[in-house]
Amino acid sequence: MAVEAEQKSRPEPQIRDYWRRYQRTARVIVILMEIIVTLIVGLALMFSDIDPSGRAFWATMAATLLAGCALNFFILDFLLTPLRDLAMAVTNAAGEKPTDALANPNAPRYSKNGFKPLLQFIYEHTRSEEDSKTEEGKESADPQLKRLESALHETSTGFIIMDAHGKIQFANHAAPVKHDTNDVPQLELLFETNSTFSDWLANCRETAVRSEQSWIRVPNRVVGDEERRIFNVTANYEKGSAAEVVVVAYDATGVFQPEDDELDFISFAAHELRGPITVIRGYLDVLEMELDDKLQEDQRELFKRLIVSANRLSGYINNILNTSKYDRRHLQVHLGEENISKIYDSIKDDMELRAQSQRRLLSVEFPPDLPTIAADRSSLSEVLSNLIDNALKYSNDGGAVSVTAATEGNFVKVSVTDNGIGIPSSVVGNLFHKFYRSHRSRETVAGTGIGLYLCKAIVESHGGQIGVTSTEGQGSTFTFTVPVYASVKDKLQANDYTNAGLITSSDGWIKNHSKYIS
Amino acid sequence: MAIKSILVIEDDRFIGEMYVRSLKHEGYDVDWVVDGHDGLVAVTSKPYDLMMLDIMLPEMRGPEILKALRGGKVDKIPNTRVIVMTNFDQDNESRMAMQHDVDAYLIKAEITPRKLIEVIKSFDAPAPVGEQ
Repeated sequence: MAVEAEQKSRPEPQIRDYWRRYQRTARVIVILMEIIVTLIVGLALMFSDIDPSGRAFWATMAATLLAGCALNFFILDFLLTPLRDLAMAVTNAAGEKPTDALANPNAPRYSKNGFKPLLQFIYEHTRSEEDSKTEEGKESADPQLKRLESALHETSTGFIIMDAHGKIQFANHAAPVKHDTNDVPQLELLFETNSTFSDWLANCRETAVRSEQSWIRVPNRVVGDEERRIFNVTANYEKGSAAEVVVVAYDATGVFQPEDDELDFISFAAHELRGPITVIRGYLDVLEMELDDKLQEDQRELFKRLIVSANRLSGYINNILNTSKYDRRHLQVHLGEENISKIYDSIKDDMELRAQSQRRLLSVEFPPDLPTIAADRSSLSEVLSNLIDNALKYSNDGGAVSVTAATEGNFVKVSVTDNGIGIPSSVVGNLFHKFYRSHRSRETVAGTGIGLYLCKAIVESHGGQIGVTSTEGQGSTFTFTVPVYASVKDKLQANDYTNAGLITSSDGWIKNHSKYIS
Repeated sequence: MAIKSILVIEDDRFIGEMYVRSLKHEGYDVDWVVDGHDGLVAVTSKPYDLMMLDIMLPEMRGPEILKALRGGKVDKIPNTRVIVMTNFDQDNESRMAMQHDVDAYLIKAEITPRKLIEVIKSFDAPAPVGEQ
């Protein structure tokens, strides 16, 4: 019993204790050795007839002992210093608190005698040794952690742990990870650009201590791939933490996939609808050309109405298609140097015909000295035609609609003004929402309620703004801004898009929700 | 070089006849084929000033025809202008790839015969090519 108790109370030997113990033992050995040496000297003196009771005898003995001890302690210290430094380094590497200060591997004598690399090796491996030790500990020692890990593997949400350089240290089964040719695991996510994630990480490394970033709708594979999944991704960064980067990828394929399928459906539906419209508009055009001199005045008017309606129908289909693309972030605008009056020219005939057939007075006057703008021609012409079409629709018989533009700072501001029924202030805030139609307009005017929503989307993806002022009963003014080309030229060119091809003076792709003015 | 001869590759009979009728009315020499394979044969066997190319075509689709003609090192129809006319809503990448090799890329539903003739006439003008 007593023995057992003694064993229990005895602390476990630790690495840090070794050095002190060894130093103590070495010193004791030196002292013992010196005593023996002194005794031998004493014997030698006695044999050489020196009186052991005399003063000279004892003085020699004392001097030998003291000088021997001092000299040997000095030599011992010198010889044991590297051992001490190694012991301290190993103690530190083992995660214990060293009893002496850690040695500087860059000390001149260590550089000279080649001890430096030994120390450095231990110091460099200290960190990773520690990590792997804890990893091992996790697996073998802690059943709780093991349970947690297998639980992570069971979920459908991806968990990835990385170091600050993006090297994957852990990924569960559901994580979007692929192995490259060297069998190194890599994040398999298609962000908007190839560098989206690495840029964020690099930025964190440089500037942040703690950071969190989310991306939604990030696929792992391209469209059409059977294993395509779509994730909402959140990444956390914490400097110096054992898990510096934690990426959580929530699998939202079930939410987004039907939308993508629906987009395919809408694309095909649009293709189908455009066929008959092409025929209707085309033959109206052919007939109008060929019958020009045979038609009565009122018949000519009927023709115009047919043409206007067919044109409108075509515009609405484009609205539906583009809204559906915009909602799924597939709508892209390609900004080039454009002239607002040239953009209007492309829809001029159509707009004038619409005004005429509805008996509205449409006046469009752009100052000749307006600067060129950075615009996507077809998208911006859709904005213009939607706003003008609205103004014509909500005007009274014989009402005037005027379109003007002016420079305002780095933007060109375009205004479309009507003297129509106006908009009650209570609903102005909702105007640009999808499917919003005021109660009254629902009763009196046809429309889908997506025109203004789309206009806002297009204008904002140009980096501009859209707005409205209105007085009920007196009319409304819709305005939108687009950047002056010269003011954004450098930014556009910085995003150099070499495949610009046909569309000459343009250089950059802009995706919605990520305006180029970031 | 003014445009005189035009090849229309269009599988929809209504639309094909519409282009043929209005272009002939305007004084152009027009040939019309209804499938992609015949289109490729036609454009390589007779020099046309302009080819109008659809995307969704039977036998051989528009992008394949274009690739066969301009995808290699040598442009097989260096003296022929190409207008892509489609109602199909291509994804951006495919559209950009086609736009790179053609003179115009137009949506059929938007381009009535009268507008088409304007576009063709704009090729005759000395103005730079590539205006849509």
